[in-house]
Amino acid sequence: MDSLNDLKKVWLSADTCALPDTAGMMRAIHKYRSQKLMKKVALILTAICLIAVMVSVVFLYKSVMISTRLGEAGIIAAGLLLVITNIGSIGRLYDVKNLSNKEFIIYLEQVKINRAKYYRKTQIIGLSLVSVGLLLYIYEGVHIHLWLLLSAYAFVLLYILVMWLFVRPRVYKRQARKLDATISEMKRLADQF
Amino acid sequence: MQADFKEIYTQYSPPVFRVCMGYINDPAQARDLTQETFIAVWQGLSSFRGDSKMSTWILRIATNNCLRALERSKKIQTTELPFDIPERNEEQIEDKLAFLYKCIAELEETERIIISLLLEDLPQAEIAAIVGLTEVNTRVKIHRIKEKLAVKFKAHGQFE
Repeated sequence: MDSLNDLKKVWLSADTCALPDTAGMMRAIHKYRSQKLMKKVALILTAICLIAVMVSVVFLYKSVMISTRLGEAGIIAAGLLLVITNIGSIGRLYDVKNLSNKEFIIYLEQVKINRAKYYRKTQIIGLSLVSVGLLLYIYEGVHIHLWLLLSAYAFVLLYILVMWLFVRPRVYKRQARKLDATISEMKRLADQF
Repeated sequence: MQADFKEIYTQYSPPVFRVCMGYINDPAQARDLTQETFIAVWQGLSSFRGDSKMSTWILRIATNNCLRALERSKKIQTTELPFDIPERNEEQIEDKLAFLYKCIAELEETERIIISLLLEDLPQAEIAAIVGLTEVNTRVKIHRIKEKLAVKFKAHGQFE
């Protein structure tokens, strides 16, 4: 090595012309912001639509059974829970890139705790409300014919079981695995300092 | 704010790109990392209080961004260095740069960051502030990195 200055000369010769110009960068920023926000907004709007549909059903369809009313209440409550949880998480879409490595690890650990809490409490409450709500809600419509009752309940129960026993734990485990890998990688990098 | 940002982007995007390139050794991914860095800069610009220099703040975001791009960092090009690189006087600057990137790619992640910042001509105090080390530790790290690079260059007959 001649000297550090020689290396600096070589280093500074890197071609940076392929970088987007300021207009391109501004476009990328606006696209990123809207994409990130749109995912959350779409989920919240879907939940609001679900609530609106259920509320209009309450007024349009005059049910005679208390089970139907309870079912409607359960589904609306689950929808509200989804909306409240996701509106709360919009506030957490803050930038973490300016955090130091130690702060970032603490942040990730907190995310892990929050996710575990959500999985063990909020999600169970939400899924319970929607599951019980669905089971109660469909009874009035299908109880007249035995075959209809059995097939409707078989279908709904299968859906609920798949959600509870397969989709929910699988999604949680996959996210937890990814988060654990990120935390351990960040700790490994922090050890290098 | 938009006018400020445009000025900041024009001034700092080349050094950010070079630091990302030193870390990832892939132009397309370095471009993506640069873009992500400036998205974060845009988001944080209104809350930047000037506690540190603008360059320190931006390069800290860039280096954090690099270190946290875990999926990308698995694909870092650390292929074997060629032993038949042409003699120094025949060498093009592009070859030298490619060789430098390859040598840096063989270092540990944090070492790649530190040497990239050093090559950007940042003072050691600023490098220390960016990576979160004390100045003494930074000096020691820099010394070790230089030694490691010197060994690599010597082994391949480069920059002797």
